[in-house]
Amino acid sequence: MFQTYRRGLFILSFLAAPVTLYLVYVISPYAQAFYIAMTDWRGVTATPNFIGFDNFIRLFSDGIFWKAVTHNAALLVLLPLLTIVIALFFAFLLNVGREGRGVAGVAGSKFYRVVFFFPQVLAVTVVAVLFQQVFRPDDSGMLNAPLMALGLGPFGFLSDPGLAFWSVLGVMVWQAVGFYVVLFSAGLASIPRDMFEAAQIDGAGRFSLFFRVTLPLLWDTVQVAWVYLGILALDVFAIVWVMTDQHGGPDFSTTVMATEIYRNAFQYFRFGYASALGVVMFFFTIGFAILSLRLSRRERIEY
Amino acid sequence: MANTPHITRRGLLRAAALAPVAGALAACATPQAQAPTASAAPAATSAANPFGVDVEKPLEVWIFDGGFGNAYATDIHQPLFKTKYPDVEIKHNATKEITKVLQPRFAGGNPPDVIDNSGANAMDLGALAQDGQLQDLGPLLEAPSWDDPDVKVRDILDPAVIEFGTYDGKFHVVGYVNYIHGIWYSQKAFRDNGWTVPKTWDEFLALCETIKKSGKMAPFTYAGKHPQYLYEPLLTMAAKIGGNEVLVNIDNLEDGAWSAEPVRQAAEAWAEVGAKYLLQGTAGLDHVQTQTAQNKYDVAMLPCGSWLENEQATTTPDDFEYGMFPIPDFTSSDKMPYGTLHTQPGESFIVPSRGANPQGGMEYLRAMLSKKAAGDFSELVRTVSVVKGAGEGRDLSPGAKSATEALAAAGENTVYYRWRSWYAQLHDEAVAATGQLMSGGVTPQKYVERLQKKADEIKADSSIKKYRR
Amino acid sequence: MTSTSWTAANSRRLARRERRRQLGPLAILTHVALLVWTVLTVVPILWTFLASVKSEDEIFGDAWSMPAGLQWDNFARAWEQAQIGQYMLNSVIVVSFSTFGTMLVGSMAAYVLARYPFRGNRAVYLLFVSGLAFPVYLALTPLFFVVQNMGNVPLVGPFIGLNTHAGLVLVYIAYSMPFTVFFLSAFFRTLPTAVGEAARVDGASHTRVFFQIMLPMAKPGLVSITIFNVLGQWNQYQLPLVLLQERDKWVLTQGIADISTAAGYDQDWAALFAALTLAILPMLVVYTIFQRQIQAGLTAGALK
Repeated sequence: MFQTYRRGLFILSFLAAPVTLYLVYVISPYAQAFYIAMTDWRGVTATPNFIGFDNFIRLFSDGIFWKAVTHNAALLVLLPLLTIVIALFFAFLLNVGREGRGVAGVAGSKFYRVVFFFPQVLAVTVVAVLFQQVFRPDDSGMLNAPLMALGLGPFGFLSDPGLAFWSVLGVMVWQAVGFYVVLFSAGLASIPRDMFEAAQIDGAGRFSLFFRVTLPLLWDTVQVAWVYLGILALDVFAIVWVMTDQHGGPDFSTTVMATEIYRNAFQYFRFGYASALGVVMFFFTIGFAILSLRLSRRERIEY
Repeated sequence: MANTPHITRRGLLRAAALAPVAGALAACATPQAQAPTASAAPAATSAANPFGVDVEKPLEVWIFDGGFGNAYATDIHQPLFKTKYPDVEIKHNATKEITKVLQPRFAGGNPPDVIDNSGANAMDLGALAQDGQLQDLGPLLEAPSWDDPDVKVRDILDPAVIEFGTYDGKFHVVGYVNYIHGIWYSQKAFRDNGWTVPKTWDEFLALCETIKKSGKMAPFTYAGKHPQYLYEPLLTMAAKIGGNEVLVNIDNLEDGAWSAEPVRQAAEAWAEVGAKYLLQGTAGLDHVQTQTAQNKYDVAMLPCGSWLENEQATTTPDDFEYGMFPIPDFTSSDKMPYGTLHTQPGESFIVPSRGANPQGGMEYLRAMLSKKAAGDFSELVRTVSVVKGAGEGRDLSPGAKSATEALAAAGENTVYYRWRSWYAQLHDEAVAATGQLMSGGVTPQKYVERLQKKADEIKADSSIKKYRR
Repeated sequence: MTSTSWTAANSRRLARRERRRQLGPLAILTHVALLVWTVLTVVPILWTFLASVKSEDEIFGDAWSMPAGLQWDNFARAWEQAQIGQYMLNSVIVVSFSTFGTMLVGSMAAYVLARYPFRGNRAVYLLFVSGLAFPVYLALTPLFFVVQNMGNVPLVGPFIGLNTHAGLVLVYIAYSMPFTVFFLSAFFRTLPTAVGEAARVDGASHTRVFFQIMLPMAKPGLVSITIFNVLGQWNQYQLPLVLLQERDKWVLTQGIADISTAAGYDQDWAALFAALTLAILPMLVVYTIFQRQIQAGLTAGALK
């Protein structure tokens, strides 16, 4: 009995701090956010008026928010796709790419792996501000100077509504790839060499090696990557808010759900409405999480 | 596992005991309505101290650090305040992003005492007023002026300031500067090249064409990243064409206000400029970059307000000679004559009602509205003052001179609009749409339709407070 | 011919063939691709360094021109006016404390949830893990008020309210819980029970077993999750944006974002580049020194 008492006490004492912190700072605000979403809380100290689902009805005809949702959706598809493809390609080259005997990366893999990770080490607002300068619309811009020298007109990477979204995507991919190169490299490293060597002895060239051996064995890691990147695509805020014109423009061509929530809450002072937007975003994220969990129940290769 | 799931009753009870504690904690984590603190009550009033400023309390001042910098507060206003209240501790602060820094203070119920609410990130005055966060400055108007106790503050202040600062019948906002808007240019550049200031729109377009052909510089630009710099002349032109009611209707969210013919015509006119005569890369440049380009004689004209000269002080060549001209006549049948100007008080000073020292805030404003303070300020930052007589005997810079002359010529024909401070979403939509209009992304027809749609949405949204004038 | 010389001759031939393969078209393509990405990664950073020693005029001119002289005073201005040093220090302080706190508190929770079945274990576990799906933005407004109210708690209030680093640290810890608990509990579950049980039989308390046996065994996972947390918290922008108002308290992410706005008004782009350089260099240096540990750590825990 005493043992179980001691055990119970231990459990409680170890859980007290984390659970309390979590309840106070995470659960409680989320619960309140759902409540605030049903009020018209505009100012700050006035007591909120309960208005039921009005905010949600209003939300449905909010063209800007739905534009933001389409941007998140596009990022959700493109960001993981591009990042994983590029990262897998490089991870493969850096770990298995050397032709011939043995399984090793090409010459200089270590150097490449270190350098590729640089963008991850920079804080996200540093990346945003840096690229704001890189994308300058005249010959003082890092990209436009050589382009103009070649005779191609200056591009409004951030000021052309048709280009701005792709610039944002590009920057996100730029920052993310290095991390996944490392992740996939580790995944590759944990695959026993014999598998590769056996395939090579059987005459597999680099292509079939990649598609028939590497990829299936890495599938778990690729799935993890897909989920992380998906969440990143849904949650993105800093890059858009800091780097783009008009905080999600120009003309709302790069805005995402997170920026619209922030704008409505902290610039228009429409906290009720912003919380309603947040609730919608919450359901999207949960939906994505559930979907990924379902789809990830694939056969695992035992080795 | 050797551990069997032995949950003792005691253990469970203990866990259950935790729940209400956590619940209570969470309960006290809900947003509490902050009761106004008792310490905000005034001390004894007197003729010399009309608001009852308590000399024990500190005064927290926040200045927007933009075109005018913030040295004017520490060099002019605060020393003047201190001559009368040497014991009051003044905490001076400056920022370039008022909303980002101060909105949480309002949210938290402890805003500062005086705020210069200006700049691209200024707080939404409409929202603040709706929420009762702004001190009623009526007493300020009725108080004796700083210089002459027989004259009320109301009488020395430009009436436009009072009109502009009134929300729902209460005076809340003191605009400290009379911003005069127009098209700015370098008088030297025009003289050297033999260009003349256009009086009609056709002359303006011809001038643009001449400048473009000369190859010396681009004819026109605007702050591409902040398209409000362009919707300002656009709306002024609409008022010129259709009369002041155009802007009144827009402000009052009347049906069809934005899709009215004068607005559409103005949009079309400026779209043409956007298509043909813009400095390369305008869309991606901010205000300082375009204004500096003008200083470098890379572009001839741009729309701006009378803060321009001061903002560009460090990059303007000595002989640049800023000049300003009003929006040209669109046709000879314009409802408002040549010389009509868009003027409106800017650099909005407010006193939060829930600050710790609103009396000190009001007294600070009273000091700012003295002849000396207002005069020194306008000389320092090269602007036109809102205090009558403050500019007497002062040496005006070329830009300020040009603006003052234009103001005198305009006489009664001044227009303004207030929707920008009332409906932040409409402003954001106008910014987005105007950028597109100038880059050819939307047609003038679509442009006015977009804005009309947004205005209609706001009108129908019962959660947004509406104002009228 | 002796066997050794035959082997020697053959291996030379094989080496030659291998070298040819290494320099073959596919190999060249490989190196080109790797070099291209290296260029893409490194050039924007180098360009920033280049611009940081240019004068304002030169920055407005051609992007790739070489500076006439090295304008080191850009850095002086960035340090003083942009307060980069202060912001970096704040970030280091906040992230150090919150990572330590997260790992301590998170591993405690993860351990208990992983190894001690009790009624409600599953519920608490799900409670934590579900946080992974919640977007921070939903909670921003109420969180602001929660933290503000925390500031009114007697005794400790002023230290953990709005605009305090301690307050921010507590928030960071709370929001890192889902991720940390999720991964660490999975990790703890894979650890062998034998050692722990032996220690318990010898009379060690649960707490002792945790700190002296389990934690050391979990080191690879701990290192990995620590790195994840450091990266995530270093990058946080939204939370400090809402919770830290006083300029002196800002963390690096806020400071850099603010400089970008300020440069627009002040026309001091040179200082902006210098500030960026000051923010980037230390991170790159620290990373390069510890890169092996970091890469090893990241991967150890991420693969379960």
